[in-house]
Amino acid sequence: MKTDALQQPVGELRPDAVAGPSSGSRRRLWGIATLVTLPVLLGMAFFYAPEDANQGAAQRIFYIHVPSAWIGFLAFLVVFVASIAFLATGKRKWDDMASSSAEVGVIFTTAVLITGPLWGRPVWGVYWTWDPRLTSFLMLWLIYLSYIVLRGYVPEPIRRAKFSAVLGIVGFLDVPIVYLSARWWRSEHPTQFVVESGDLPAQMLVTLLVGLATFTFLFLYLLSVRRSVARLRAQRELEGVAR
Amino acid sequence: MNVLSPAFAIAGKDLRLELKTRDVVASVGLFVLLVVVTASFSFPTGGEGREGVAAGVLWMAFLFAALLGMGRSMAIEKEDACLEGLLVSPAPREAVFLGKLFANLGFTFLVELVILPVFIVLLQLRPGSGTWLVVLGAFLGTLGLVTIGTLFAAMAVNTRGREAILPLLVMPVSVPAMVAAVKVSEAGFSGGMADGTLSWLLLLFGYDALFLLVALVTFQYVTEE
Repeated sequence: MKTDALQQPVGELRPDAVAGPSSGSRRRLWGIATLVTLPVLLGMAFFYAPEDANQGAAQRIFYIHVPSAWIGFLAFLVVFVASIAFLATGKRKWDDMASSSAEVGVIFTTAVLITGPLWGRPVWGVYWTWDPRLTSFLMLWLIYLSYIVLRGYVPEPIRRAKFSAVLGIVGFLDVPIVYLSARWWRSEHPTQFVVESGDLPAQMLVTLLVGLATFTFLFLYLLSVRRSVARLRAQRELEGVAR
Repeated sequence: MNVLSPAFAIAGKDLRLELKTRDVVASVGLFVLLVVVTASFSFPTGGEGREGVAAGVLWMAFLFAALLGMGRSMAIEKEDACLEGLLVSPAPREAVFLGKLFANLGFTFLVELVILPVFIVLLQLRPGSGTWLVVLGAFLGTLGLVTIGTLFAAMAVNTRGREAILPLLVMPVSVPAMVAAVKVSEAGFSGGMADGTLSWLLLLFGYDALFLLVALVTFQYVTEE
């Protein structure tokens, strides 16, 4: 009895009404906000934030690295929530939201995995270490790459939406367990790298917050662009000229 | 409607089929033996700290066994529209999932039961009083792998990639279960509970419980047409 109510609407997979002008103008707003804040962030990262006493200039990649990590994580949270919403309602917009956010999230996570080693090499002496956070992000990246690959292997839109929603839910629930296991696993091989730096000086904190704002705008902009692509693709699939 | 009796009926059907054909256990069993032998040549087995290497090799072998078996077990349901038959039967979806889960667990445990003693002999391990821990770790780790795998196998057979895509889905998500299972097996091979083994067991238990629940709830979505 609990399943019937849920199963019914999943069958209808229609694109939502074509987005009104509001979505386009909002996208422009996010785009402009990113264009404005990005140079500000770069200026602050290079000239306003003080140089780290121990790590030197290399530490400045922190203002790109950490916001990327936060936004990557946020993107996968959006995938998780949208996946649940899709299975509950069967509305295509939630599938568009989940798949778009997953792709954007992979971009940010890739940025994390590129900037991390660039920072690690001069500061720690190695490009990679199996630190719990690094390990967790590597696993996140792999899980959502498999999400994208899975979508590519399912041509039927309804099935693709359901399968990827299930992976979007399972994958996200896996994250805290991955983190916990990576932490315990590492704790058996103590590492000399202490990532936590304690209290940040005010200028560093302000720069970090500007970075977070910049990357949030960029995320919202990319998500919006990607969702409109998903909407167009949905329309094409309905018209039967897909691929 | 009772969930367990149709589940046992489905698992029984798979096990009877297997008894007649011996497809999965023979091919998977031989494959796993080959993995173990190849790994014995490839890794430094036998020296100091061999328990850690052995536990890793063991779980790579178990992972391959589970992946192969589950892919095969779902593929036979695709032939002659057997899966559709199961789905239109009055058995609830949860029962279909549990049935396939029990069958997959049965196959995997059977292969593991055969391979584990051979493995212990070949890699010169002396678990002794840690044997129960090796068995418990194998049970909990396999349960986690097969729970996720049974859910994903139902998805994988309905993709263009078929069984080829199953490892891509299972492997990233099963990493914490694999890490925990390796740690428990390592402690078992070394003779008993070590520092932190209890945490790993609890993590395995939590992983199994969480994903069993998630799989039971979501299986209906991956099987409906």
